[in-house]
Amino acid sequence: MSRKICILLSLVLIAAFALSACGPKATPTAAPATEAPATEVPATEAPATAAPEPVTINWYHITTAENQKAVWQKLADEYMAAHPNVTINITVMENEAFKTKLATLMQSGEPPDIFQSWGGGTMNAYADAGLLKDITANLDADGGAWRNTFSPGALGVYAYKGLNYGAPWDMGMVGVWYNKTLFAQAGIANPPTTWTELIADVKALKAAGITPIATGAGDKWPTAFIYEYLATRICGQAGFVAAATRTGSFTDPCFVEAGKKLVELVDLGAFQDGFLGATWGDEATLMGNGKAAMDVMGQWAPGAYNDNSPDKKGIGDALGFFAFPAVEGGAGGAADGVGGGNGFALGKNASPEAVDFVKYLTRAESQVQCAAAGFCVPVVKGGEAGLTDPLLKLVQQGAQAAQYFQLYYDQYLPPAMGSVVNDTVQAIAAKALTPEQGAQAIEDSAKTEIK
Amino acid sequence: MDIPVIRSVMKSGRSSGLSHKSKEILTIILFLLPAVALFCVFIVWPIIRSIYFSTFDWNGLGPAVKNVGIDNYKRILTDKIFLKSLGNGLLIVLFSLTLQLPISLALAIMVGRDLPGRAFFRTIFFLPYVLSEVITAIIWLGLFNPDPDRGLINAILMLIPGVKAQAFLGDTHMVLGCIFVVLTWKYFGLHMLLYMAGLQNIPRELEEAALIDGANRWQMVRYITIPLLGPTIRTTIQLSVLGSLTQFPLVWIMTKGGPVNASEVMATYMYRYGFIRFWLGYGTAVALVMLLICLVFSIAYLRLVRQPDYLGGM
Amino acid sequence: MATVALPQRRHKKINVPRIIQYIVLSIITVLMVTPIVILIFGSLKTSGEMYSRPYTVPNPVHWENWIKVLTQSTFWNMLRNSLVVMISVTAIVLFICSLAAFVFARLKFKGKSVAFNFLTLGLMFPITVAIMPVYLVIRDMKLTDSLLAVILVQSAFNISGNLIILTGFFKAIPTELQDAAYIDGCTSFDFFWRILLPLARPGLSAVAALTMIVSWNDLLTPLVLVDRDTLWTLPLGTMQFQGQYGQDLALVAAFVTISALPMVIFYLFAEKQIVSGLTAGALKG
Repeated sequence: MSRKICILLSLVLIAAFALSACGPKATPTAAPATEAPATEVPATEAPATAAPEPVTINWYHITTAENQKAVWQKLADEYMAAHPNVTINITVMENEAFKTKLATLMQSGEPPDIFQSWGGGTMNAYADAGLLKDITANLDADGGAWRNTFSPGALGVYAYKGLNYGAPWDMGMVGVWYNKTLFAQAGIANPPTTWTELIADVKALKAAGITPIATGAGDKWPTAFIYEYLATRICGQAGFVAAATRTGSFTDPCFVEAGKKLVELVDLGAFQDGFLGATWGDEATLMGNGKAAMDVMGQWAPGAYNDNSPDKKGIGDALGFFAFPAVEGGAGGAADGVGGGNGFALGKNASPEAVDFVKYLTRAESQVQCAAAGFCVPVVKGGEAGLTDPLLKLVQQGAQAAQYFQLYYDQYLPPAMGSVVNDTVQAIAAKALTPEQGAQAIEDSAKTEIK
Repeated sequence: MDIPVIRSVMKSGRSSGLSHKSKEILTIILFLLPAVALFCVFIVWPIIRSIYFSTFDWNGLGPAVKNVGIDNYKRILTDKIFLKSLGNGLLIVLFSLTLQLPISLALAIMVGRDLPGRAFFRTIFFLPYVLSEVITAIIWLGLFNPDPDRGLINAILMLIPGVKAQAFLGDTHMVLGCIFVVLTWKYFGLHMLLYMAGLQNIPRELEEAALIDGANRWQMVRYITIPLLGPTIRTTIQLSVLGSLTQFPLVWIMTKGGPVNASEVMATYMYRYGFIRFWLGYGTAVALVMLLICLVFSIAYLRLVRQPDYLGGM
Repeated sequence: MATVALPQRRHKKINVPRIIQYIVLSIITVLMVTPIVILIFGSLKTSGEMYSRPYTVPNPVHWENWIKVLTQSTFWNMLRNSLVVMISVTAIVLFICSLAAFVFARLKFKGKSVAFNFLTLGLMFPITVAIMPVYLVIRDMKLTDSLLAVILVQSAFNISGNLIILTGFFKAIPTELQDAAYIDGCTSFDFFWRILLPLARPGLSAVAALTMIVSWNDLLTPLVLVDRDTLWTLPLGTMQFQGQYGQDLALVAAFVTISALPMVIFYLFAEKQIVSGLTAGALKG
């Protein structure tokens, strides 16, 4: 028997060596771009000298899905074909693993040339430490040629103290995704536009035996979206900005009121059983399987619902979207948005070629491609041509139209404070803290973190 | 009996350059050198560096500039949430020592000796240990799901009339217990493996002699097997306690220490405050407090259990 | 020899009936195995099925996930890297720890317990926080982005636990053997190499098995120390199927199941060694 095991072992070893030897070599692996490079390529303004030196660009991104990863790879291959002296090394990592890896790279003082960023407080921390490349001049060149292609709100997320450190490629808005079929079952004719209507709808759904809202309070951030929208609706831009710039406070009545409204939902039993331990995955599965009526979530929701359903079709045509309801008496506008997106930040050692490559990645044509592959809501004029999903178009229009667009609190605020907000929202939803105590906790954190 | 004693008795006529004593010292140094070298470079030096950083208010980027002395430590020891995490850690230790280890021992004895089919059982019981902690957490997240259509445990519970589906990981009272179940499931195989290996050192003659003398199996186990497994038991206790106190991935992936800190352990506390909140100085201090607690336990424990081993040894 | 006080009365021999033992063992088997079976079933379903019908037997059986994993060239590459790291680490740890455990179990010197406690520090400093300064050390040694870095760091962190285990096992080997050996003129090293190690085979195999598994499953060390994806080990491979906003659970399940197979094979092999046991004859000799 042990002899057989030895043989088996050796076979495994041999197989491993043999098969790894016949695989293709390291990245860049994909075959060179088979389509003719887009006509804009030669028009980039990279100063090409007579014999350009070889340049290597290290790019870390988190788009792991096969078909989506291929879009980035294709763009890199096109660029490398047009610029033979440039080698682009792409490392694709999963979200959490990426954050860990980035933390060590940042700590060693050698950031990657191009990497995934969500902007806001975390990016600001890197900027403060001098780890990012300032691309303000590149954006302003030629009378702002590059800068003007972006939607200003989105670009602003990657700016800090007047300087730009990154370029966005995706910006969406959180809203309410809902199941039309379940609404009909509960006798709800139209989606709610005000908080009162929302409460009435929640009650109607409960009466019909349907889970009104799915939320992943175990992961904390999904439930924080609800709180953040309530705060945005009730406090308005002025209220939040005052608190964040320390002329006001997070204990202002409007924030407490936001907490109270969250508790109102909890008390009504609006959330699914066990929501305190539920993950975002659980939330998406509930929606994707038609077991919950509403979900306060961002632009990636439909894809996730489909993935988490038996036939990958989610709830199909029954999926709808409406903007978070207005809160009567709130200081915020009904069109104000909460949301966020993705962008590329550049490390302090990035070469001019890296900046040029980011420009390539953010041209309208590139945006059309990623929109068509379903993983970005474009931020560049002309990019929306790639959007085919009518719901995502709604999201994009909402994001564009918002007068005041608030980046998720846990990205916008300094990282420590963002973490406190998430923890506190969970505590409020669990009734371990009263809305007043929760507001105080956030305020205490602001006192230490925002200088 | 001491080797030096025997040696000096036997020294007559044997001269070989070095005295036996210094040859022995040489042996000690040589034998310990590789371990100590590797250890110092990759463990001791990082610990020393961490001690340095723990005295700073530092977010991990760029140089550490804001020295706050032992402020971080004062904050840790007065933070309610840290104390709760320490309490949870101790609870897990308690459960492990009273439940997990005895059961592992009992089963190891059952499958370590003459039970037909024991090889099959041994392999099965060890399987959970082979999986990584990440995957274990993901599987059990699924099992504990509050929705009976997706959570097997609830699906089975619902078969019992009158029992509702439980929130398990969403319930502040049940969550720590659930985590303990998963820890037991996973590490049970480790302890069993060690006991099994330890059983091999117990001469069958002793056990058979006892049986012949009229002891029943329970007495044999109690008076011979278990005492002779002493060293192994001590090893598993030490490993179990240290492992329980420093447990991280399972808890983090399943609950992130929640809800509302109900399942917080020291390592999740450290991770959240250190890495997520970018308070690296503080997080490092937490890690060092953890280290200190473990060290105190280890030293105290080894002092306490210094007993003669029945089979010899020091 | 040990003396044990036994009651003098003759007790009826009560063997816990075999049937009860089997019942208990079977229940525990079911408890142990169910989650694993669910994982394996999951790998044979599509992701959607995994979500909506997690506990049924897959029907029809979807082998696509397995085929997808096995035909990916990166899988075999990662498997090879994992094997290289695992075998190196296990060899190093076995070597270093048996040397050190011998000293702690058998030799006497001042400050022994201090040294022992010192070397067990590795169990008390979790790798999650250690990885930051360790990364800096590796960088200073110019070893970043290499498998050697992973091997060295994993070896270092596996010393403490295995040292405790092996010291325990070495202590259990009777001193009479050692005395006899010395009387016959053995040096410490001879005793160690020719007598102690073979006798300690169960303990060594246990250590080997444990180290192999820990090394195989380690995600954090290769994640941080390795950049090039040609050097990725298997745990990093699961990342490909996990995304920012969702994961393809069936593929992850397939990947994990396949990755775990070599471990099970190695364990079976090591287990044979553990259970063999040779002490029965040695004492008499």
